[in-house]
Amino acid sequence: MPNTPTRKAAGHLLTLLQLTDSALPTGAFSHSMGLESYLSTQAVHDEASFTLWLEKFLSQSLAYTDGLTVRLAHEAAGGEGLARIDALVTAAAVPRQIREAGVKMGARMLHVATSVFPTPELEAYRLQVESGECSGHPGIAFALGAKGAGAPCADTVAAYLFSTITSLTQNAIRGIPIGQNAGQRVLRAMHAPVLTAVETIFTLDEEDLGAAAPGLEIAQMRHEHLRARMFMS
Amino acid sequence: MAPTKAGQPAIRELGPSPFAGTKLVGELRLQVGTRAGKAIATRQYHQGALRILRPHYLDDTAQVCYTIVNPGGGYLGGDNYGIEVSVDEDTSLLLTTQSATKVYKTPGTFARQDMVVRLGAGAVLEYVPDQLIAYRGASYRQFTSVDMHEDSSLLFCEVLTPGWSPDGKLFRYDEVRLRTEVSVDGRLAVLDNLLVRPGEDSLDSLLFLQDYTHVGMLLAIDAKIGAPDVERIRELAYRIGEAQRTPVHLGISQVPGPGVAVRALSNSTEAINAVLMALVDELRHHLRDQKPLNLRKY
Repeated sequence: MPNTPTRKAAGHLLTLLQLTDSALPTGAFSHSMGLESYLSTQAVHDEASFTLWLEKFLSQSLAYTDGLTVRLAHEAAGGEGLARIDALVTAAAVPRQIREAGVKMGARMLHVATSVFPTPELEAYRLQVESGECSGHPGIAFALGAKGAGAPCADTVAAYLFSTITSLTQNAIRGIPIGQNAGQRVLRAMHAPVLTAVETIFTLDEEDLGAAAPGLEIAQMRHEHLRARMFMS
Repeated sequence: MAPTKAGQPAIRELGPSPFAGTKLVGELRLQVGTRAGKAIATRQYHQGALRILRPHYLDDTAQVCYTIVNPGGGYLGGDNYGIEVSVDEDTSLLLTTQSATKVYKTPGTFARQDMVVRLGAGAVLEYVPDQLIAYRGASYRQFTSVDMHEDSSLLFCEVLTPGWSPDGKLFRYDEVRLRTEVSVDGRLAVLDNLLVRPGEDSLDSLLFLQDYTHVGMLLAIDAKIGAPDVERIRELAYRIGEAQRTPVHLGISQVPGPGVAVRALSNSTEAINAVLMALVDELRHHLRDQKPLNLRKY
């Protein structure tokens, strides 16, 4: 496309903003994805230690799970391909609470996406979930909604990653706790790592999907019996 | 057996090789069935740097134990190994190794092992290998795919340790991946896709190893593993872990299949093994009323 100045905003921009808004009712605010276990051992206890944890979580876990899922779902040509990605990402969530979080948030994301941005692809995926052929995953519903609005794949992946990073930061603000301004500094510090993660995601393939770090998985598994939990995962 | 033009020996009795088209440094294909009330290899084939020792019967059950041997000594960069295991209906196989699998420095490209497992109805596979040792600069990928029936039973474990230098210092390997895909009745149930990159320091490995050096995993898939069993296994694992002189950091969770997945981090192979072997014994007792495993290695 020629690089000419334009007075028109990209058509997909508002769709991405809406789908990534922290007020989107997916229930992301009640999932810490293992972070709460690190809070309970004080391994994460302030802005600096949270920033470090979040960067590792993004580059060493989220990129391989949800991030790669969003890319593969955006690129998938049809229902069969989506069913394969859905099965892989669900089966790769070995810790029970992470699997349940995916299914729960998947159903809500799918509900929002199909009712607000209906497309034939989303409707087909909804039917696959309804029939039990698919489990439902928020990354797939998000990718289809964004794709339907014309969002390019890389923007879709970046938006999804940053949205998850935002939810986790909101949770850290309440959970550690740290201040709202500290939260905004963390988010700003994640811009470069998110863009790097997007580049990494485009070098991965299906066999990388769900690659999991053992220390993080142990934290996610131990969350099942953590005392005084604020979060469901 | 005449090699075909692709260099892949044709073995009609075992069916087409799942590794056709890949140049393998070592290949092992094993089919185990029941003959005269005992499990035994009914077909087997090996070439290159993989073979198996003669069968053993470790207890009073019909279960056969086969030991995989790698006479080549260790895996190098670009090496591909292939193992195919089929266990017939109502047959029980215990598969182990003669010694640790060593992965040396792999400049250029990673070493790789592919394992393809098929379990018939009522079949049992217990895969309890020695530890995998990855040396400095080692990169290794292990791909295992298991196709099982709803009423077959799988028990799979691995221990991953770093190699050590002559002065006893532990090396940091580059990367190890252990990707295990289990399908039950044709449907993907669990994808255990373990990735470990020790990195430069403990900050790099905050999510991988934290301050530990050794990783253990166990995956058991069996229709008889329910939620209360997972709780019992968790309590047992924690109890055995706490009894070790070296701390063992453990995670246990229920997985579809149904089954249970275990993750362990420690600084000692013995401590991880103590926990995993206690769980193996608990599972074989609970699922099959079988005695504790005694591999009698010497």
